[in-house]
Amino acid sequence: MEEESGEELGLDRSTPKDFHFYHMDLYDSEDRLHLFPEENTRMRKVVQAEMANESRGAGDGKAQRDLQEEVDELVHLYGLEDDHELGDEFVDENIPRTGVSEYPPYMMKRRDPAREQRDWRLSGEAAEAEDLGFGGWGSAGQCQDLREAYRYTHGRASEEYECYVIPEEEDEEEAADVFCVTCKTPIRAFQKVFDEHKEHEVIPLNEALESAKDEIHKNMYKLEKQIIEMENFANHLEEVFITVEENFGKQEQNFESHYNEILETLAQKYEEKIQALGEKKKEKLEALYGQLVSCGENLDTCKELMETIEEMCHEEKVDFIKDAVAMADRLGKFLKTKTDVEISAQPEFEDQTLDFSDVEQLMGSINTIPATGSSVRVCWSLYSDDTVESYQLSYRPVQDSSPGTDQAEFTVTVKETYCSVTNLVPNTQYEFWVTAHNRAGPSPSSERAVYMTAPSPPIIKTKEIRSCEEAVLICWESGNLNPVDSYTVELTQAESPEASGVTESVVGIPTCESVVQLQPGRSYIIYVRALNMGGPSVRSEPATVHTIGSYFRLNKDTCHPWLTISEDGLTAVRSERRTPARELSPSDTHFTRCVAVMGNLIPVRGHHYWEVEVDEHLDYRVGVAFADVRKQEDLGANCLSWCMRHTFASSRHKYEFLHNRTTPDIRITVPPKKIGILLDYEHSKLSFFNVDLSQHLYTFSCQLHEFVHPCFSLEKPGCLKVHNGISMPKHVTFY
Amino acid sequence: MALKQISSNKCFGGLQKVFEHDSVELNCKMKFAVYLPPKAETGKCPALYWLSEQNFISKSGYHQSASEHGLVVIAPDTSPRGCNIKGEDESWDFGTGAGFYVDATEDPWKTNYRMYSYVTEELPQLINANFPVDPQRMSIFGHSMGGHGALICALKNPGKYKSVSAFAPICNPVLCPWGKKAFSGYLGTDQSKWKAYDATHLVKSYPGSQLDILIDQGKDDQFLLDGQLLPDNFIAACTEKKIPVVFRLQEGYDHSYYFIATFITDHIRHHAKYLNA
Repeated sequence: MEEESGEELGLDRSTPKDFHFYHMDLYDSEDRLHLFPEENTRMRKVVQAEMANESRGAGDGKAQRDLQEEVDELVHLYGLEDDHELGDEFVDENIPRTGVSEYPPYMMKRRDPAREQRDWRLSGEAAEAEDLGFGGWGSAGQCQDLREAYRYTHGRASEEYECYVIPEEEDEEEAADVFCVTCKTPIRAFQKVFDEHKEHEVIPLNEALESAKDEIHKNMYKLEKQIIEMENFANHLEEVFITVEENFGKQEQNFESHYNEILETLAQKYEEKIQALGEKKKEKLEALYGQLVSCGENLDTCKELMETIEEMCHEEKVDFIKDAVAMADRLGKFLKTKTDVEISAQPEFEDQTLDFSDVEQLMGSINTIPATGSSVRVCWSLYSDDTVESYQLSYRPVQDSSPGTDQAEFTVTVKETYCSVTNLVPNTQYEFWVTAHNRAGPSPSSERAVYMTAPSPPIIKTKEIRSCEEAVLICWESGNLNPVDSYTVELTQAESPEASGVTESVVGIPTCESVVQLQPGRSYIIYVRALNMGGPSVRSEPATVHTIGSYFRLNKDTCHPWLTISEDGLTAVRSERRTPARELSPSDTHFTRCVAVMGNLIPVRGHHYWEVEVDEHLDYRVGVAFADVRKQEDLGANCLSWCMRHTFASSRHKYEFLHNRTTPDIRITVPPKKIGILLDYEHSKLSFFNVDLSQHLYTFSCQLHEFVHPCFSLEKPGCLKVHNGISMPKHVTFY
Repeated sequence: MALKQISSNKCFGGLQKVFEHDSVELNCKMKFAVYLPPKAETGKCPALYWLSEQNFISKSGYHQSASEHGLVVIAPDTSPRGCNIKGEDESWDFGTGAGFYVDATEDPWKTNYRMYSYVTEELPQLINANFPVDPQRMSIFGHSMGGHGALICALKNPGKYKSVSAFAPICNPVLCPWGKKAFSGYLGTDQSKWKAYDATHLVKSYPGSQLDILIDQGKDDQFLLDGQLLPDNFIAACTEKKIPVVFRLQEGYDHSYYFIATFITDHIRHHAKYLNA
């Protein structure tokens, strides 16, 4: 370790030119440590004193004197010849030491100064010894002597200098017993009286311990939560891993066959074009040849006429005239016939372009038909070069059970090597096989391939969506008779659905519900897809979520038989009808005694705010309770529920804030018509407000170790209405 | 008006100071305490007036809350002192220390005992001129006789105070022994003049803007049991006139500063809600 730091120190600091850095390994490590423990202290103290810019002249002088003494000691003991020089060198050491300030960062550490000191001393020596460098010590023998000298001095030093050791060393006996809040360090009580802790706030160490423990416990809870979240996330990731692999495999396969198809098509087109080109050439050549032939004939005729005319010119006059007239005729006729000197066939060929439009269409068509719930695209390839006239694709659904009932078999005949089969049943496995046909007959059938149709899209239960400012809980129906592999939730922000194009997806959801984290104050559109081996379904119908305030509905499954809940799940009505006061059988889900109903608040911590509209003359209770509160008891009558209760009797309003049957004594002069309720998990508080007056009514401090749900009860006929999705008004934020 | 600083102590990042000045209304030297929160160093803060004994500044533990919410808290004395009026020191509930926040009309009190004007006029003007406070944002609260003072100041000056609250206030002095003693001394025998300084009566004819009143009352308060405080009358009047009040009867608490210290944070938050709105 010392070597390292020695080297570090040597390397890190900008080595002054004169100092030579050399390996400390020369000196045995044990020696080094033992050499100057007291020296360390003394030197360090001196060094620190200098660092603090306190010129403790006395101290400095003392150190110098001590050093001098020690040197003298050495000199005396060993009678070193060059002792004086050596002594000077040592003494002179003090001078370079003032260069301490060049290396402040190292000086502040405990041990480093000593080492630094030693470095310097040695390097200082080297510097002094100038070009001696490493050999600056002189002979090895001298080194040995010196080491022994030091060892001896150490023995002496420990006695001499013990009393100079300032208790800055770690004294185990004097442990810290108070805690300085300002500096956040444990200190000893007496330190409070002087030093820098004079004006600081100090508390007993135990208290500090307690509060530190509290902090830690608080954080432990958060850590535990995080652990669970991370584990869940890890599991999801694993599932996504597998899905990715599978999807890759499928894509690979598809792409390969499509690519082959395209190549085939291209080859085919090439053939066709070449052939056409060849034929064109033939055409042109024939035309030209024809022209050539007629040209030749023409030429022949011309020559013949020429010869005849020449012969004529040598005849007797009478014959000449007879012939000349006939010739003139003939010539005239001949010359009248137009000689076609236009070349009938141009030598150039049109540039041949391959028409890619149908290839594009092919490529396009591969991509546009997604694997839907009711169709599958099947591709196959020919194994040999045989001539094929058509293919026959057969398929039927795969049934695991009942071999007796033969599933209907379907057949499609195509000329291509692919086919889209439609009208299939979603989320079902089908097996496919192909036979090739030509004039000779059908081929043996191919291997059976199994494809699975994608599932039908799920149906989001929009009425049961619950949300708060930071999350939404969505649940849905599968939409498929048979189980699917998993579900995917997709969400986009409503403000810019196309613009951003960013859709967040949550994949690998095993059940038909999911809690998704959201940003506050936004609107989101949510879709769900089902996923199986055949691929994803199309998107479900969308649902919209607004992350303003908290949304919940009254849960019909919990409501007392005498209460009716409105369609939108926000109004509870207790009618006037006279009902027999029969004992309702106790139930775990329905309230049987208190005419109450519970809302389904999203199980997310943080804070939630909602409002209840009531009639001034209505007897009601509004508050919260744990999901497993005993439904045979009144709200507020046990320690699992908290509520505000209003009773109106003899023209007097009475208000109680009930928990565990106790209530503080509170009078409210203006009866609230709209009650605001703030549930704060973080601060363990439940507060009630008169919304119209922005008046705070009361706050419970409640330990919420689990999630609670809003509760409402009507003690007399009447109705109350819940208002949701309201962001916390400013006056509420003070609480 | 010359202010003389008597003391200054740092507290919760702010400064608790005590000043003395010559009062015009009261014709004597008056002391008052001012707490300046850290926020006052950089800007104007709302002002909150507290009416009760000077022990408030050391015994009720309001500094942390005031510091957090950035409120300047001003605590004037309960009455003029050292006026050398005959009989002023005879009893603890009349004369020195018990000014009842009225403007006296009877001799020999009428020259000096004008606490109502002092608290509602002179002191705010002085504070506004010498300290970093926002003159538009002011609230008032108090304890016992100071509670009575806070309520009447607010009810007699609709719109002047953004909020009011009280600890164990004397709600209906016209009907309780203390009030009868004080009013007859300061205001004479004409009971109609008394009603002008009685919260319960003032509420009945309060025309003005919405007030949100918070009252805490210790259930074990001896004075409550002695019929000196009479909060029920006040509540009934407020219910009738639809003045919003939240009245909390606190089990086990008495009239002392321990009671005040327990609930002072709620009160300061109540005021901060309106002053920092």
